[in-house]
Amino acid sequence: MTRTGPGVILTITAALAGILFSTPALAANPSPAETAAPEKVVWTAPDQEEAEKRAEEVVPFVEAVMDECRLCRQQRLRDVGLSVKDQSESYFLLNSPIIRKTEDHYGPVRFMHAKHAGVTKDCALCHHYRPLDETASETTRCSACHQEPFNKDHPERLGLKAAYHQQCMGCHQEMDKGPIDCAGCHRKNVPDHKDLIQLAANPEPFEVTSECLRCHKPAGEDMLKSAHWLWKGPSPYTLHHRKEVELGKATIATNNF
Amino acid sequence: MSIISNEARCTSCHAGYGWKDATFDFTDMTKIDCLVCHDTSGTYKKTPTGAGMPDPTVDLVAVAKSVGPTSRKTCGDCHFNGGGGEAVKHSDLSRQLLHPERSCDVHMGGYDFQCSECHRTRNHKIAGRSSSVPVVEGSFSCQNCHTGKPHNGAKLLDHHLNKHCETIDCNTCHAPVYAKCKPTKVFWDWSKAGDKERKPKKDKYGMEDYNWKKGEFIWKESPKPVYAWYGGFMKRVLLGDRLDLSQPEINITEPVGSINDPNSRISPFKIMKGVQPVDADYKHLLVPHLFPRDKEDKTAYWKHRDWQKAFVDGMKAADMKYSGKYEWITTNMYWGVEHEVMPADMALSCVQCHESLKGERTCNRCHQDSRDVDFKTIAHKGTDFSYMASKGRDVSHLVGTTDYIDFKGLGYKGDPIIHGGRFKKLPMGYKAEK
Repeated sequence: MTRTGPGVILTITAALAGILFSTPALAANPSPAETAAPEKVVWTAPDQEEAEKRAEEVVPFVEAVMDECRLCRQQRLRDVGLSVKDQSESYFLLNSPIIRKTEDHYGPVRFMHAKHAGVTKDCALCHHYRPLDETASETTRCSACHQEPFNKDHPERLGLKAAYHQQCMGCHQEMDKGPIDCAGCHRKNVPDHKDLIQLAANPEPFEVTSECLRCHKPAGEDMLKSAHWLWKGPSPYTLHHRKEVELGKATIATNNF
Repeated sequence: MSIISNEARCTSCHAGYGWKDATFDFTDMTKIDCLVCHDTSGTYKKTPTGAGMPDPTVDLVAVAKSVGPTSRKTCGDCHFNGGGGEAVKHSDLSRQLLHPERSCDVHMGGYDFQCSECHRTRNHKIAGRSSSVPVVEGSFSCQNCHTGKPHNGAKLLDHHLNKHCETIDCNTCHAPVYAKCKPTKVFWDWSKAGDKERKPKKDKYGMEDYNWKKGEFIWKESPKPVYAWYGGFMKRVLLGDRLDLSQPEINITEPVGSINDPNSRISPFKIMKGVQPVDADYKHLLVPHLFPRDKEDKTAYWKHRDWQKAFVDGMKAADMKYSGKYEWITTNMYWGVEHEVMPADMALSCVQCHESLKGERTCNRCHQDSRDVDFKTIAHKGTDFSYMASKGRDVSHLVGTTDYIDFKGLGYKGDPIIHGGRFKKLPMGYKAEK
């Protein structure tokens, strides 16, 4: 359900002791003033804030990497005793300005680093090369080696966006686990509609919809088939009725409230 | 109850304009309400009684220019208020989730998850299974992100916790109480409706126990869920189904599952108990016409307080038989507790369910370990109900509980540590007799 790992949860619970169950919103007898939701974020997880900051960073480009096959690297890391327990960060937001500079069609990806490490138990699977500089860290973030696409000095290097997609989707496909489509990892950004909407003042609601449909007719067609429109539809998880396709509030579903 | 004959009230949560009766044209795209889901200005609202039409004061041009992705606000405008108010139906969904404290929900609080990040949407089909409503447009679960072995912290306990995942739903441990953020309605007696003289009394949570239109209520804050085997399927009573009225209570929704089904896991539920009308002869649930269609309406209960007229009208609109004789029956709906996930530190611990671990001997019944490992601490940490109680949560009765799960009720001989698990019948280093 989430893209943050249990490791994340462990690291921040200490910070929570004073926050859990201690706010007016949770008081047993909330007054009307307290039940009104405040118009701000009341609390952000420390690792969420850190991940947001890290996502904005652009680190120096690694010019040269050590030539090492993946299996060699895997063995060497294991022999020097580096493993998933050595990871410093369990949660990342992938939202690099390197990619956003050229296009900004999608929102950040929540990347559960600890979860992926725990499942694969193999750092070298993603951290496939190390910087040639011996003083550099054994593993680096993707964006240390993969930055601008079509770098003339490094035609062998994929750009960051391609690197992310090849690594994530390639591995998900190979392992038959994890999402391989756009919406599986990130939410679409919606362009600013301020100058796109052409409506006279005080339109009828239907006129607003027609204006939306001017560009989004397929979305309208999809919507006509949706549960939020029809309030009924296929009900494959209801006993005895798996083949009936018209169950919903608009038909014969009922309740006691 | 049903939306039939009450459309204009209920469809204020329809993503469309003007569904006021059965004549609504579901093929007319211009009746779609794009704004109710895609407004980002926070200013859009529908008239509660206007069949989905927007409030006339809304600046539709400004809202149209603001459109963007859905959010907890747009989804919540309807889903936080189902059943006519905040957290009434969904114990785990309320306006508190607009700006949640972490303790309300670990995903939406702190990590700012929007609904659609889990309820993935493709072509306006939104994934997610509801225990209350049959229609489903796609399935997902915690495991989609967390996998079937979610405890990957390489701690001593993780192996055992992951084994538990084969038998126990995540929220059984991670949401040990529901309606933490806001009291939820757990009982609704329609038969008591109609008394305009009766003054509503406030309960200890400040919630009113009566409304002449709707009847009598009981609210609960932070109650312990009811646990049942659940394999993902629901059994439902549908309109027209003949009921066995000799039963004292009838489950109109209930989870399907069993201790013998490897797909079933012990899962937490809120039970919404209701008293609702049934046809005494045909023995099917009745649909009352509650909300007046217009000023001339002669039958609506909320206008005339006459159940007989309301049933005659409602059942005619639903195209169902009504004998003219009604009774009130007690019904239960099982509502899955799917949100309000608590962080690891506040999840249930071993001893809160396994009484056999209560004493000095815990993991060392089976494990020998000479390292500096404190088994007792591992087995005994967990949800700190006394801390929650000290912060005002209504959970004092849960402090020190070691029988959180009723194993016998779920089909075990007793604590599985003593008697063996559901498929492996080996006791864990204990003798079956104490």
